Amino acid sequence: MIRHLFKLIWNKKGAHSLLIIEIWASFLVLFGVLAMIIFNLKNYLRPLGFQYENVWNIELSANQDTVAVGEKLERVLKRVRSYQEVQLASQSSGNTPFSANQIGNSVSYKNISTGGDFYYTDDQFARTIAMPLTLGRWFSHTDRASKYQPVVINKALQEKLFENENPLGKLVKVSDNATVQVVGVVDIYKSRGEFMSDIPAVFQMVGEKDPWNSNILVRTRPGTDANFEARMVREIAAMVPGWGIEVGYLKESKANRVKFTVIPVVIFLVICGFLLVNVALGLFGILNLNIARRKSEIGLRRAMGATEGKVTGQFLGEIWVLATFSLLLGLIFAIQFPIMNVFDLNSDIYIMAIGAAIVVIYLIVTLCAWFPSRQASRIHPATALHEE
Amino acid sequence: MLSNYLKIAWKVLLRHPFYTFITLFGISLTLTVLMVLTSFLDHLFASHYPEGNRFRSLYIALVLQTDSSQTTMSSGPASFEFLKKYAKSLKTPERVSIFSNFSFSNTYVHGKRIKLNTKYTDADFWRVTTFRFLEGKPYDENHIANAEHVVVITDALRDEYFEPGAAVTGKYINIESIRYRVVGVIKGSPPTRVYTYSDVYFPYTAPKSNYENKGVRGRYVAMVLAKSAADLPAIQAEFNNHIARIPKAEIPDSKQYPVLIVRADSFFDHFLNTFVRSDAQKLIFYSVAALVVLMIMGLPAINLVNVNVSRILERASEIGVRKAFGAPAKALLFQFIIENIFITFIGGTFALALSVLIIYLINSSGWIAHADLTINFTVFLTSIAVCLAFGLLSGVLPALRMSRLKVVDALKA
Repeated sequence: MIRHLFKLIWNKKGAHSLLIIEIWASFLVLFGVLAMIIFNLKNYLRPLGFQYENVWNIELSANQDTVAVGEKLERVLKRVRSYQEVQLASQSSGNTPFSANQIGNSVSYKNISTGGDFYYTDDQFARTIAMPLTLGRWFSHTDRASKYQPVVINKALQEKLFENENPLGKLVKVSDNATVQVVGVVDIYKSRGEFMSDIPAVFQMVGEKDPWNSNILVRTRPGTDANFEARMVREIAAMVPGWGIEVGYLKESKANRVKFTVIPVVIFLVICGFLLVNVALGLFGILNLNIARRKSEIGLRRAMGATEGKVTGQFLGEIWVLATFSLLLGLIFAIQFPIMNVFDLNSDIYIMAIGAAIVVIYLIVTLCAWFPSRQASRIHPATALHEE
Repeated sequence: MLSNYLKIAWKVLLRHPFYTFITLFGISLTLTVLMVLTSFLDHLFASHYPEGNRFRSLYIALVLQTDSSQTTMSSGPASFEFLKKYAKSLKTPERVSIFSNFSFSNTYVHGKRIKLNTKYTDADFWRVTTFRFLEGKPYDENHIANAEHVVVITDALRDEYFEPGAAVTGKYINIESIRYRVVGVIKGSPPTRVYTYSDVYFPYTAPKSNYENKGVRGRYVAMVLAKSAADLPAIQAEFNNHIARIPKAEIPDSKQYPVLIVRADSFFDHFLNTFVRSDAQKLIFYSVAALVVLMIMGLPAINLVNVNVSRILERASEIGVRKAFGAPAKALLFQFIIENIFITFIGGTFALALSVLIIYLINSSGWIAHADLTINFTVFLTSIAVCLAFGLLSGVLPALRMSRLKVVDALKA
């Protein structure tokens, strides 16, 4: 039966070539859009790993001031911590949660080396953003005296570097050729928001009186408002004249980040949806006409004793064969993506996208062929043969 | 004759409302998507308020330091000093303005926080751009020389900080604990014009502008206004000449990054250069863009061809009858061409209406603040032409085949 269908389609390959191109192109469009959606969705489904409600980010910039910046920063931090409204405050590098900044470096252990995001913070950081540790502990002041600087890593890095070994106490090399010691592991930390993938991360302690990492994350008590913020900014401005002070709420910056990811996805979805509806309608129209033109053939088959189901089945089978031809053609292109690791995405994302695109294409062609073939199969053999 | 063909066309369209719908849907939606897309690109890249002179402007916004093999690089905006020395001194342009990339600040009024985008500019900024002043005037060279605390604000900030519509020239605004006198209020621009968008504009001698920073890199951008678009290559040549003569000693990290790349680019080239550095990458970018357009245009076009071919074949008997009554092949072809033009124009009208609606919705939704998307009629006409071409291709070819058919065969079908 299937061989027969293939022969039928192959014989009319010229007439069908446009249909094949159409299905092939739709498959590629679908594949691209689905890969993007699956990538984002997979990331979205993983937790952020920290709490951002009531957390503010104070960005300080010393501008022209170059005298004792580290000491001044420390004084500001102390002042911020002294407020009643502030629960916890922590110094951090510019890549605070939901900011667009990124600090990338390499980490190596024995002969495995990988890249990761680096965050320079202090002893209060994990508590300020309520990030739980799964192993070990967060670093503290007393670690400054130890031989190796302490770092906390995330699970993604642990799996890359240590596999089944216990990472605690292990010495790793970071890119500036310093050796640091792992003291703790956190589960996940997606600092650039929900749509970021879970990539290796290293938290390193800022030096004493460090002048470079001039962000302060502040966890405020619930119900704290802009009046306190205005007062705090005024008082900090008085402490460090000439400095830039900017306060942002993590909640707002998160909404901003989401917008950056979602808007392009929505635009692509709309365009893809429009293309697919267009293709589906076109397919439906063409199949309708083609099947209507084969009335005499249907009549003959019905007269020879074929059931309605069999006639419908034949037409569905034909369109499936056609779709399979096109999909095979499309697969030749699509399979390059996971093989050549294009855009550095995991190959399973591409494979899932290919699978999903195939399912959607079969669904569309089945839907488009179903109605006309049902209608055709109901033709009474006598009427169909009479027309001939 | 013509009206007769139109009548036939109309009747044919009505006979199969479903196929008419498919064809119209394809034509009008393809055109709509194309038009909204181009209007968006036009919004991003063409000359619009307040960068109304973009067509004759060059942007110097990126200083790239790299080694000779371009494996490691470090890049960012330039410093004020650098631009003053090498851009402001250009002879060919009409004017050169130096201003900072936007930075952020907050201001507080009645227990409420207003987030601000801030920008530090020179006096030429107001001559290079086409900002419209609702009241007051821009700050000038005197304000700058005296380092006065004056600002120009947008209407949106005026409404939020003072009272909606109030006259505020001469009033004071408190930003980061410093009082600034408002000298002018401008009509705000959409944030998509990243170089000129801001809520507050300060003279570059205001506190915290960091304009005294030495070195090559900083946070400043230069916009070079040519007398006419034809002067742009000459300005670029002059600027490149300036850059080539920078002594090595003036470039920090010149050991690690011996190559300094600074270009004065038109807005689009500049935009492209931030993504793609080499010609090979540019090629990839263009091919991806072409592929996307091909998909958007190509799929509906194939569809149109498919549907049209089927439709014409269905009308074999009609053609047979007409031929039997002596219609020449030319007349038949003419009829199909008229029919295709007819349906394409109906689709085009729908598309125009739809695009106007969508663009209106985007403009008024606040999705982009102060959005000013407009319909680009050149693009509209081009896309109508493309649709016509496909319509003719898909209608005329089968019709031609049909018209050559023997009457007997045609009538039999």
